[in-house]
Amino acid sequence: MLINNEFNEDKIQSPLRYIWSIFKSKSIAVIAMWLLIILIIIALFAPWFAPYSPQLQNADKLLLPPYWLEGGDINYILGTDDLGRDSLSRLFYGLQLTLGGALLITLIISLVGMLIGASAALTKGIKASILHHLLDALLAIPSLLSALIIIVIFGPSYVNCLIAIFLSLLPQFIRSSYLTIEQELNKQYIIALQLDGATKTRLFRFGIIPNILEPTITVINRLFTLAVIEISTLGFFGFGAQLPQIELGALIASGVDLIYLSPWLITFPGIVIFLVIIITNIFAEGLRHAVIEGEE
Amino acid sequence: MFQFLIKRLNLLFITAFILTIIAFLIDRAVVTNSHLISATDKNYVIQYVEYLYNVITGNFGYSTLDGSPLLSKGLTVFTSTLELCFLALFFSSLMAIPLGLLAGLFRDSKLDYMIMTIALTCLALPVFWVGVMVLLLPGIWGGLLPVDGGLSLIYDVPNITGFLLIDTLLVSDNYGAFAFLDRLAHLLLPALVLSFFLSTEIIRLTRHSMTMVMRSNYIKAAYAKGFSRTKIVFVHALSNTLSPIIPQLRLQLSTILSFAMTIEIVFNLGGIGDWLLNSIRAGDYAALPTGMLIITTFILFFSIFIDIFMVAISPLRRGLLYANQ
Repeated sequence: MLINNEFNEDKIQSPLRYIWSIFKSKSIAVIAMWLLIILIIIALFAPWFAPYSPQLQNADKLLLPPYWLEGGDINYILGTDDLGRDSLSRLFYGLQLTLGGALLITLIISLVGMLIGASAALTKGIKASILHHLLDALLAIPSLLSALIIIVIFGPSYVNCLIAIFLSLLPQFIRSSYLTIEQELNKQYIIALQLDGATKTRLFRFGIIPNILEPTITVINRLFTLAVIEISTLGFFGFGAQLPQIELGALIASGVDLIYLSPWLITFPGIVIFLVIIITNIFAEGLRHAVIEGEE
Repeated sequence: MFQFLIKRLNLLFITAFILTIIAFLIDRAVVTNSHLISATDKNYVIQYVEYLYNVITGNFGYSTLDGSPLLSKGLTVFTSTLELCFLALFFSSLMAIPLGLLAGLFRDSKLDYMIMTIALTCLALPVFWVGVMVLLLPGIWGGLLPVDGGLSLIYDVPNITGFLLIDTLLVSDNYGAFAFLDRLAHLLLPALVLSFFLSTEIIRLTRHSMTMVMRSNYIKAAYAKGFSRTKIVFVHALSNTLSPIIPQLRLQLSTILSFAMTIEIVFNLGGIGDWLLNSIRAGDYAALPTGMLIITTFILFFSIFIDIFMVAISPLRRGLLYANQ
């Protein structure tokens, strides 16, 4: 076959495209990415996937085990709860509030926190030192405690629970983004850029952001993990989603009384939380390795 | 040294000042009949000064449930939380430090992937769910370990040091070692559950620190001198690997306490999380600022202690003392 390789120039890829091509070669990370996308689609379109309405009760089918066990019913794949409601549908709807809330919190915190952290690192003097002391104080309050305080003041509801988690995770993110940017600022190429007369915004956009990708991915991943755990923890204690709403932690709490009768009711929501966290972590780890390899 | 201490104490005072303001605001927002502020028609600055005076003299008000002073009650339950944390730290150090060292030494090998998978699994298990699942165990094991409460009710242990593990040893005249063993049995499962999360952190930090040390120039120099790998790891690398972990772990302290509070609520262990939750559910909101001040004061003092401790043991950190001279 005649193929002219003589003049095929190697196309120089953009950094992001290069990172993506490395990421594609890591099969486990790609699988994790697709699983994450599937989970997000299920959470977004829960009403279309759920076989039953989550509130629909069936008095003939109480506390069914999953269908593969004796006494199970194929119409209720993961069994039913004490009011005869389908567990699978309730899991889908629960995923909506847990995963959706965690994604929302992660998105807002990473935007706001990056903005505050960057402005604190790039400006010197009194603003930075006030922020430093305030952060020190806020970081000393455990997140469960600050969530309790906010919920006691404003009353328990799902939105207040999200606000509480937002406020308790924000200082951690500001602190870590501040530290990474501060470390980056001391490097030689940043000083060279500064000597060229680059403005702060240009410095941040073209000098700092491309080089803090890897630590930022780690921090955002940690943020998401903690957000999922805390939303479900507060839901478990009854401070998060209130009754008609379904949330994975609240599902576990409602199953605790029936633990010896039907352990499935608390097993499945826990496994779903576990899967959400582990899939995201594998995806983020793959992304991080791709970024590291791309930089080298 | 003196300048360093002054700098640290300065930080402590500013942070403590901000924290008392937050506690004051909570007190104003949620406590309806505060014992600490006498009249309500004064302005907030005078009220705050009054509040601060009360807090400094150790008067945190009284519980509306049983009339006991909040400070002593809060301190007693907080020591129980600390016992849980220290036991969990002990377990997870035993488990995680060797694993982290191995993962760091054989980075990117099969062993490393296996250890990191264990760490990831431990992180992804939600603590309260593991706690609830452990409640199933008595059905399977036949009640080998208790999963409810902090101490069996048959033991009458006076509150001397606040730490139940020590108090039960002090009454060994009456009960022998049984009270102590009973307390240990009650703490064992919660501490194991808490050590899941802690192990993840310690494995991650130890692995990172070990990798960094093994890449450094003095290790390469030791290799060039022809020392054996065992000698390099145990003599040169180990002591420099473990000391950077401590300040990193200190930053996680508030997260660890948060998880500990969750666990003791699930296990009904009688720690500070349990106490706060029950007080809030019963409407005794004055416990909230008290609990917050106790926990944050502990975290602040512990951080400063770790800073001074690090300066004492690590030559690298000691350089900070002379940096500004």
